[in-house]
Amino acid sequence: MATTTPSLNQTIQDVFNEPGCGKNQAKSEKERKKGCTKQLQPGGAAGGCAFDGAKIALQPITDVAHLVHGPIACEGNSWDNRGAKSSGARTYRTGFTTDMDENSIVFGGEKKLYKSIREIVEKYDPPAIFVYQTCVPAMIGDDIDAVCKAASEKFGTPCIPIQSPGFVGPKNLGNKLAGEALLRHVIGTQEPEYTTPYDINIIGEYNLAGELWQVKPLLDELGIRILSCISGDAKYKEVAWSHRAKAAMMVCSKAMINVARKMEERYDIPFFEGSFYGIEDMSDSLREIARLLVERGADAELIDRTEAVITREEARAWAAIEPYRQRLSGKKVLLITGGVKSWSVVAALQEAGMEIVGTSVKKSTREDKEKIKKIMGDDAHMYDDLTPREMYRMLRKAEADIMLSGGRSQFIALKASMPWLDINQERHAAYAGYHGMVELVQEIDRSLSNPVWQEVRRPAPWAGEEASWQDRAIGESADMPREPTAPAKAA
Amino acid sequence: MPQNADQVLDHFELFRGPEYKEMLAKKKAEFENPYPDEEIDRVREWAKTEEYKELNFSREALTVNPAKACQPLGAVFAAVGFEGTLPFVHGSQGCVAYYRSHFSRHFKEPTSCVSSSMTEDAAVFGGLNNMVDGLANTYNMYKPKMIAVSTTCMAEVIGDDLNAFIKTAREKESIPMDFDIPFAHTPAFVGSHITGYDNALKGVLEYFWDGKAKMAEPLTRKANTKINFVGGFDGYTVGNQREVRRIFDLLGVEYTMLCDPSDVWDTPTDGEFRMYDGGTTLEDTANAIHAKATISMQEYCTEKTLPFIAGHGQEVAAFNHPIGIEATDKFIMEVARLAGVKIPDELAKERGRLVDAVADSNAHIHGKKFAIYGDPDLCYGLAQFIMELGGEPNVVLATNGGKKWAAKMQELFDSSPFGANCQAYPGKDLWHMRSLIFTEKPDFIIGNTYGKYLERDTGVPLIRLGFPIFDRHHKHRYPVWGYQGGLNVLVTILDRIFEHMDATTNDPALTDYSYDIIR
Repeated sequence: MATTTPSLNQTIQDVFNEPGCGKNQAKSEKERKKGCTKQLQPGGAAGGCAFDGAKIALQPITDVAHLVHGPIACEGNSWDNRGAKSSGARTYRTGFTTDMDENSIVFGGEKKLYKSIREIVEKYDPPAIFVYQTCVPAMIGDDIDAVCKAASEKFGTPCIPIQSPGFVGPKNLGNKLAGEALLRHVIGTQEPEYTTPYDINIIGEYNLAGELWQVKPLLDELGIRILSCISGDAKYKEVAWSHRAKAAMMVCSKAMINVARKMEERYDIPFFEGSFYGIEDMSDSLREIARLLVERGADAELIDRTEAVITREEARAWAAIEPYRQRLSGKKVLLITGGVKSWSVVAALQEAGMEIVGTSVKKSTREDKEKIKKIMGDDAHMYDDLTPREMYRMLRKAEADIMLSGGRSQFIALKASMPWLDINQERHAAYAGYHGMVELVQEIDRSLSNPVWQEVRRPAPWAGEEASWQDRAIGESADMPREPTAPAKAA
Repeated sequence: MPQNADQVLDHFELFRGPEYKEMLAKKKAEFENPYPDEEIDRVREWAKTEEYKELNFSREALTVNPAKACQPLGAVFAAVGFEGTLPFVHGSQGCVAYYRSHFSRHFKEPTSCVSSSMTEDAAVFGGLNNMVDGLANTYNMYKPKMIAVSTTCMAEVIGDDLNAFIKTAREKESIPMDFDIPFAHTPAFVGSHITGYDNALKGVLEYFWDGKAKMAEPLTRKANTKINFVGGFDGYTVGNQREVRRIFDLLGVEYTMLCDPSDVWDTPTDGEFRMYDGGTTLEDTANAIHAKATISMQEYCTEKTLPFIAGHGQEVAAFNHPIGIEATDKFIMEVARLAGVKIPDELAKERGRLVDAVADSNAHIHGKKFAIYGDPDLCYGLAQFIMELGGEPNVVLATNGGKKWAAKMQELFDSSPFGANCQAYPGKDLWHMRSLIFTEKPDFIIGNTYGKYLERDTGVPLIRLGFPIFDRHHKHRYPVWGYQGGLNVLVTILDRIFEHMDATTNDPALTDYSYDIIR
C-alpha cells in the first residue's frame, strides 16, 4: 500500500497515461495529458459519470458494504441496478448511503460519514466497507481518505475510499478509478490459505446474468482455480489476495486495463486480453489461460487437456447451433455494441447462417478492428460512431433484420419496426461461453419469430395510402446533409 | 391454552399452534386409520400420469368441478342490464340466492333479484299462484320499471307456461295491464349461463319488438344509422361497457348498448342506495329494432339473439370476445364499416401503444405454454391474444363449449405456428383440466378463481382472467376489450409471470441470486 496518497488529480493523470492502452500510446505527450475522454457536449445526451463507473465496477464484490457518500441522488438512482449475480453474500445488494442533507453540506459531511461507517460495522459487520466519493462532498471538501483511515483504525474493518466524484469524467474513467482504489488499498493486503500452479485472476468480468458461471465449470474441469475474479461474484478477501495468482485474463479491454497492467508490474502476473463471447474466442481464451499457466510452471499436460475440452465443447456448441441454420440463414444482423463484442459474436452468428451487415467499433481497440477484418473480410462495415439517424435508416431500409445492441439503442430499433435483442449489461440472459452462444442464437431466433414484429411493421390495418411518419422520417433524413460520423468503410 | 378470551385467534393462526397440530396428528394416527404416507404419495404421483388421464377422460357420468353455471344466472345478468329492471326468477328461492351471491362476490355490489318462491305445493299444483302473488309483491314493494321473468328448473320440470301465467296475473290485476314483463324459459338442465343470457336477451327484444306478448302491435323497422352493441355474459362488463362507449364516441358512432349492467354493478357510495342504476332504457330497447346493425362481442352468448335480430332485417356481426391487437382491429374496423365512419388517429395511437407494450415485453411470454379455461368466447379471445404474444395456448377447455366451438378453436390454432401443439377440449371439466396440466405441462393456467385449486394441486401459477373472480377485488372495473383492454390483459399476464419469477428466486442463500430489481 502506498504510504502517501496521491491526489485525485495525480491519479487521473496516471490513469490517462496508460501504457497498456495502444490508442493512448499512439498519442503525443500533449494529447495524452488531455486524457482519453472526449469533452462532453453541453446540451447533448450522455452516458454515466465517473461515480457510476466506479460503482458498477466494484459493486459485484458481494460481501462488501458499498457506502455512497453523497446526497440521495447518487445511490437512490444506482442502487442494485445491474444484474451482477452472487453465489454467496447479498450485502452488495443493500443500498447504503449517507444521504447528505443541507446541514451536512453547510457543516461538512465527514462526521455523518464516520457515523454511517460505524453503524454499518455494528449492524452488518462486513469484511470491508467501500466508501464512494461523489460530487457534492468532493466540492465541499469532505476528506473521505482521512475518514476512512480513521474509521479503519478505530473499528478494525478496512474502509476503502473510492475517489470517484462524478464531475471528473465519464463512466469509463470511473471504472479505472475504481481499479486504482483496489490497487492502492485492497490488492496485496491478505494472503490466500494456499496457492496452486493453476491459480488465475479474471479481471473485468462482472458475472452479469451469471455469465461467469457459464465458464467456471470448464475451468473447474481443467483444475484451474479462479483465485480472484475482479469483480464478479467476488469476496473481499479474494480480491485482497489476488496478487498471488500465476496468470490473469483481462476480459473487458477498456475498463480495468490499469489493474491488469499494474498487477503485472508489481506482482509479475502476466495477463492476456480475451473474451468469453463467441465460440472461438472462448476456445482462444482457454488456450491462453493454459499457455500462461504452463509458462508460469504448471504441468505442460494442461495444454492437452485444454485442447480436449475445447474440441468437445466446440463440437457440442456447433451441433446445438446447427438446427437454427435453416431458420436464421440469410438473416441480416446489425451489431451495435463495441469492445470485444464487436467481433467476438460475429463468428457464432455467421455459423448460424446469419449475415453481419455492420458492427460498431466505438469502444474497440485497433486489434479488435483487425480481428473484425479477419473474420468479416475487407469489406466489413465498421461504424465508429453510428448516429441514431443512420442506425434508423439502416434498419428501416431493411439492410438488417435484427439489431443486437445495448438497451439505449432499443428504441431506434422499435421505431424502425425491427426486432432487437439486448446484448449489453441490462440483459437477463447469459451469453458467455459455449452454452451462452447457443443461448444467444436461440434468443435471436425467438426475437425474429415473435409475432409482434408483424404488428410492429404494418400500420393500423385501416391506414390509408398516405406516407407513414416513418417514411417521412426517412425522407427528411435523406434531405439532410450527412453527418461527418456517417458510416465509413473500414480502411 | 391455544385460545383465550382476551385474544381470540382466527382460523389463519389458531390451528397452526402446537396444541392443535399435536391434537390433529394424534387424531390422524389413532382414529383415522390413515394410509401410509408412501401410499398417498404413490397415488398422488399416479394421478399425474397419462394412465390416470385416460381413466379420467373415460368418465361417462360424473362431472367434477364444472367450469360453467346455469341458465338463470345468465338470465339475471341480462335482466339487470336494462333500466329499472328487476329480474324475477320463477321457481325456488334458493336458486335465486345463488345468483345474487355469485354476482355480489364477483362485482362486490348487491344484485337485486326476486323469486316466486315456489315450494312443495307449487311443485304439485303448479306455480301460477306464486307468479300472480310474486309479480304483485315485486311491483308494489320494489317499484321497478320492468320485471324480467326467467325460470328455474323446478318450474320447467312441471312445465309452467310463463306467457299464460303472466297474462293471468295481469287479468287478476296483480300488475297493471300495460306494465312491461318480458320473459324467457331458462331451464338449467339445458346449456349454461351463456344460453340463459341469450334466451333472456332474446326474450326482452322479442317482447318489445314483436308486440309485447300480443298486448300491442309488432313494431315495424324503420332503418336508421345506429349500431346496437351486445356484450354478452361478461365478468368485465363494468370496465368493458364503458370502454366500448368511449371507443364508439371516438369513432363518432351512434349506438345503443343493448343490456348494460355497468352502472348497477358499480354504484357510488354516497349515501343513496340504488336498487336500479343505468341500463338500457326501455325506449332505446324498443327503438333498437330500427338500428342499422347489431354487433355481438360473444358469438356463443347470442346464438339465438343474433338470428332473431337478423330476422328483423338488420345486419349482424359476431365476435369471439376480441382481445389484443388483431382481434381489436377487426372489431373496430367492422364498427367503422357498419357505421360508415373513419377511424380517428386517437385510436390508431392507442393501437400503437399496445403494439409498443407488446414489443417491450413479449420476450417474457414468447414460447411459454398456457392452459386456458372459461366460457367459449373468452377462451377464443384469450388464446388468440396469447398466440399474438408468441405464447402457446396448448390446452383450451370450455365446459360449456361444443363441437362447433372446438372446430373453430382448431381453425385458430391452425392459423399460427404457435398453435401447432394446441388442442381444444369441449365439454370437459376442471378435473380433466387437472390431468391435462400434469400431462401437457403448461407454464401457466388462465382461468377464474376456481383455478386456485388447480394452482395448488399442480404448482402451475394461475393467471386470473374470467368469471367469477372472487378472491381478487375490482378486476371487473378494468376493460379487457379495446386496445386499452388488451394492455390490461397483457399486464395481468406479465404481473403473474414476474410474481412467479420472484417467488421462485426469493429463497435466501439458495435461489436469490436471481432475485433481481430489474426484470
